[in-house]
Amino acid sequence: MKEMQKFGYPIFFAVMAVLPHLLDDRWQAVAITFLIFTVVALSQDIILGKCGMFNMGQALFFGMGAYTTAILNNEFGWSIIATIPLAILIPAIFGALLAGPIVHLRGDYLLVVTIGFNIVFVQVLQNNLGGVTGGPNGIFGLDSLSFLGFDLMSQVAVYYFAFIVLLLTLWLMRNLAGSKTGRAMHYLREDQLAAESIGINTRIYKIFAFSIGAGIAGLAGTVFATQYSAVSPEAFEFIQSVLFFSIVLIGGSSVPGILLGVFVMFVLPEIFREFATWRYLIFGFAMIAAMILRPRGIVPATFGKIPKFLIKGGSHVE
Amino acid sequence: MDIFLQQLANGLTIGSMFALVALGYTMVYGVMRLINFAHGDMVAASAFVGLTIYTQVMGQAATLIAVITIFLLSAACMACVGIILERVAYRPLREAPRLSAVVSALGASLVIQNGIMLIWGPRMRIFPELIPQVYWDFGGVVISLIQVIILALSLVLMVALYLFVEKTRIGAAIRASSIDQDAARLMGINVNSIIALIFIIGSSLGAVGGLFIGLYYRGITFNMGWQYGLYAFIAAILGGIGNIPGAMLGGMLLGLFKAFIEGYVSSTWADAFTFILLILILIVRPTGILGERVAEKV
Repeated sequence: MKEMQKFGYPIFFAVMAVLPHLLDDRWQAVAITFLIFTVVALSQDIILGKCGMFNMGQALFFGMGAYTTAILNNEFGWSIIATIPLAILIPAIFGALLAGPIVHLRGDYLLVVTIGFNIVFVQVLQNNLGGVTGGPNGIFGLDSLSFLGFDLMSQVAVYYFAFIVLLLTLWLMRNLAGSKTGRAMHYLREDQLAAESIGINTRIYKIFAFSIGAGIAGLAGTVFATQYSAVSPEAFEFIQSVLFFSIVLIGGSSVPGILLGVFVMFVLPEIFREFATWRYLIFGFAMIAAMILRPRGIVPATFGKIPKFLIKGGSHVE
Repeated sequence: MDIFLQQLANGLTIGSMFALVALGYTMVYGVMRLINFAHGDMVAASAFVGLTIYTQVMGQAATLIAVITIFLLSAACMACVGIILERVAYRPLREAPRLSAVVSALGASLVIQNGIMLIWGPRMRIFPELIPQVYWDFGGVVISLIQVIILALSLVLMVALYLFVEKTRIGAAIRASSIDQDAARLMGINVNSIIALIFIIGSSLGAVGGLFIGLYYRGITFNMGWQYGLYAFIAAILGGIGNIPGAMLGGMLLGLFKAFIEGYVSSTWADAFTFILLILILIVRPTGILGERVAEKV
């Protein structure tokens, strides 16, 4: 496993870096989708996997970032790059505000409330609240990517934009895992009462996790809006949140697991297009089978450098 | 005043359907601490099974006996599906982390939903007119025979379930299993059979709920399970999940709330208001209206 990580990541990044030059237009688009959804799944992982909060509304923050970019670009004429800070900040602030009153709820209640947030959000978009969301059709005709006066309208440019966002996310998550905050989140996930009794302010860390996760998902939303130069409510329905939720848990809340999960959920269907109608039926069976065979996920995450002899039956105790 | 009474009647009708479906969620949650996400899709499947029994087995007859047979057969079918579901998707995960069972439930939901789509097609189907269209007009308030039957039958089923759970020995076993499975096992209760029984009861009640949805709304689609399932689940949470009278109360309250929002405010915002109500109630009373405050175990 160690060896695989040592060599696996550099090979993976090298392949991903040259990938767009090997693919035609259609597969470039699939590769961009893969990168974007990986970022969203990783942001969900901070909340669900690392912190152990049952969040089933991640598409809300993803959509909020996408709509922030779309509205600022379409209504106010900001360039795509200029919308990035707000596309991160607005979801992050909303993440904190929404999480504030609900993080004390027990697991399943939290799950339903986050589903609720997602559904309210989509309904707000569809009913065109404030007259800026474009109703059920959404907003289309966004500008293409441009930076320092260069017009980067090719798909390859969007690919690298998405790739940079993914690298940033991975870097942030690695630093988070090694930091005081990351440790606090881990203890909080393992045993909230114990975490509180050793002086961890669980409430603050939970809200913080929601906020970070929301901000990253918002950034992914910007890339998503750029790729299609459009946004519409159905891309952020709560069924998407269900997919992200499942990907994190099936993957086992580790980076290789999540990459695999996103690949299976979003890339494989493109390869086997003739089975399109069977897609979700097969996914359903695969989800049940994966959980029965590997209840902790395909590639379970490990935390920190705990010596093997101290671990009894895996590092995670439920 | 007319709108008020009309929406009261409509609210009680949809509320009793929510309550029937909510009972399935709450009973499974009570014993297994698991949100059975597939329950809503089983409700949808029941409407399609009822449709097929009507056209294939009953030869499109809508006599009283035929209608009763359709209800019994659909409930029996769904009870079988419920048992299979529990055996295949939930039993192997009883000792696993709780989130694994949630993912398995989501998987089962996808399987049933898309199974319906592959068997009956992706388009909306029209549910047969099993009950004659009879309407009574009480000075501007129109009540249909279907509404009366739905309300009456739901009440009968709910009272029967309540008496069964509260007054019989098997009911006592169900209550014991939901309080503490291990202790129940030590007292000689076969918890596996209790769980199977709960899936039978919950799925058959859900099946009746699905047929009611077909009768009342007429149009049935393969993916309607999520929508009704979610409402029913909210009803279960409102009442306090795991609590059987709570699910009945929650269903009725949610039905009334939804009907009044649709009558007085707007139907395009009904979902949003419902969830805002849920969130507010959970902030004030995190365990629902009738739910008991359980101290966290250390």
